[in-house]
Amino acid sequence: MTIEKSFDQLTEEEKYEHFLNRIDAGEKIEPNDWMPDDYRQSLIRLISMHGISEIMGALPEKEWVPKAPSLHRKLAIMAKVQDEMGHGQLLLRVAEDLMEPLGMNREDIMQNLFSGKLKFHNVFHMKAPTWGDAGIIAWLVDGAAIISQSMMLDSSYGPYARALKRICAEEVFHAQHGESIIMALAEGTPEQRELLQDALNRWWTALLMFFGPKSKENASTSHVDKNIRYKIREKTNEELRQEFFTKYVPRIWSLGLTIPDETIHFDEEQALWVYQDPDWIEFKEIVTGNGPQSKERLELRRISYDNNAWVREALNPISKAV
Amino acid sequence: MAQDMALVELLYSLADDDFILAYRGSEWLGLAPHIEEDVAYSSINQDMMGHAVKFYSILEELGEGKADELSHMRAPERFRNAVLLEEKNGEGTYLEQPQFDWAFAVVRNYFYSIHKKIRMQSLKQSSYEPLTDSASKVLIELQYHLMHWETWFKQLMSSTDEAKKRMTAAIERCWNEMDGVLTLGPFAEEMTSKGYIASEEEMRKKWLVHMEKTFEQVGAPLPGGLGMTKGNGRQGEHTGDLHQALSTLSEVYETNPAAGW
Amino acid sequence: MSQKDGFYSVYEVFSKKTDKSPLQHQFSLLAPNEEMALIMARENFFRREPVADIWVAKRDNIRMTTQEEREMLKRLNNKEYRETKGYGYLKKKWRNYQQEQFTEQSLLSNSKGGKE
Repeated sequence: MTIEKSFDQLTEEEKYEHFLNRIDAGEKIEPNDWMPDDYRQSLIRLISMHGISEIMGALPEKEWVPKAPSLHRKLAIMAKVQDEMGHGQLLLRVAEDLMEPLGMNREDIMQNLFSGKLKFHNVFHMKAPTWGDAGIIAWLVDGAAIISQSMMLDSSYGPYARALKRICAEEVFHAQHGESIIMALAEGTPEQRELLQDALNRWWTALLMFFGPKSKENASTSHVDKNIRYKIREKTNEELRQEFFTKYVPRIWSLGLTIPDETIHFDEEQALWVYQDPDWIEFKEIVTGNGPQSKERLELRRISYDNNAWVREALNPISKAV
Repeated sequence: MAQDMALVELLYSLADDDFILAYRGSEWLGLAPHIEEDVAYSSINQDMMGHAVKFYSILEELGEGKADELSHMRAPERFRNAVLLEEKNGEGTYLEQPQFDWAFAVVRNYFYSIHKKIRMQSLKQSSYEPLTDSASKVLIELQYHLMHWETWFKQLMSSTDEAKKRMTAAIERCWNEMDGVLTLGPFAEEMTSKGYIASEEEMRKKWLVHMEKTFEQVGAPLPGGLGMTKGNGRQGEHTGDLHQALSTLSEVYETNPAAGW
Repeated sequence: MSQKDGFYSVYEVFSKKTDKSPLQHQFSLLAPNEEMALIMARENFFRREPVADIWVAKRDNIRMTTQEEREMLKRLNNKEYRETKGYGYLKKKWRNYQQEQFTEQSLLSNSKGGKE
């Protein structure tokens, strides 16, 4: 007869096995639980990128907050961009708790963003030159985000799943906010329709890129496989992109808008959308900080961070004690 | 019936004050000193713009025009907001090189919120019923604004030397323009005699009493006489900052005010 | 606590939805002190839903359990003696005396004369 060992006495392999069993049983992993290093690293990579993308994602839409074309639109877009900041807050808190044992906190996240070590989503490197962009971002970028976020609602990491639950509840408002803007443009004057069509043309490729490359030869898909094994996510990039097409392509067409890809169609035999693959080398360029608006957006974030350093310094209990 | 000028002017000053300060606040979105604070500040700006909508709606009912037109298409000289509230957040713009001044944001909003509470409490007794209704509702949300700005004001005033220096500069700047907020403008006497709102003197006094208490609590001297150096917004005098604000906020709307947006 | 941690202290946020609701943990935020934590908590977590009360507590002051300690939360399912299901036989007993056993409802309601 063997005496059952307490958790602390287990070997690393036994702990790992115990961890996988918990995940497979659908249990949620909590911040102070034992977890393998690569699980922690995967989560930090995924969630800090997700969180900082929300913060950076506030910037292109923020450009249109003061300019929104009515009192109602001004209020709604303020609330929407506020939510993006709020989502960033929720997600960064989750990432920060994972980083705490490594001696890192939000300061490190911000510094990693400024140094280029921490990347943010490709879509937020793009220019948003008209009000039409504000509509397309809220309608389709958020639509894409809902698809990729909702697949992680049952994530094995408890705090991430809980943050996403809060986030997804608000995304429903975002979707309708976006639909309301683009509907007004689609039903408006010829100039307004043109504004919308131009914005769609500008954003289409970025939307395809949003889900990441599909084939295994492309970078970072090994992370995807691992994240699926660890039940952090459920679907591959391509599965998500296909879902996006199924949901949005018919709607885009129903409004009489043109998708800037003549080849896109649903292939009944394969039961798949066939489309023009974006340039993944360009994608890599964009996410490594060489997108059309990457430098400006980072600069804006850095200025506001540096410019307000005195505030954080002033309220730091340690500065006060000195 | 000819429009009651005292009432209309009062409504414009109420609506424009909240609208313009909320607009300046909206430029801060995404740029606040702390992510959590960014979210909190945005709610206050939304509340304030919501209050502006209430007052514009009363004007709309009085036949002044649609609320969106009133807020987006009036010429600068027809705005009745105080000059202090239209001033830029700092150097640069919200799109480029925003060297925004958080001390100015805190002091301006704090001073304004205290006055707004006094003003709303008075409007609660107004002889004009739509104002009493709106004021009671506005007061509900104002409680949070006051708590928020008072916390920031007091904490920064009791912190590092650098913060105190910046706050003192912001206080001086706001103090020199604050009379523009406290004044009721050319129709002051009529507004009061018709029972729409308390007298300017009474409200100014209450505001100063509150300030004396706050400054005493943080151990700072109360600045000297209040000022209004850059013009009286209540009679349509404004700075280039308002022109800039209005052309930005109406940029999309004015491309086609008749269209649905 | 290092210099860089000072401003970014973790506060846990709890709330009550209505006066009658129990206190519930919501989320956490970073703030330099509890007053700031409180004013930020309101808009970060209760922008839409109603809230009747908010508490904030610095995480350092909360004693949480470790994974191993949570083993102590498990127990055997042999405690019928402290649950009503251990006393089901009483129903039949009372019938022998032409009485109905009190239900949970009748025990907890204020008796008004004994008759329904």
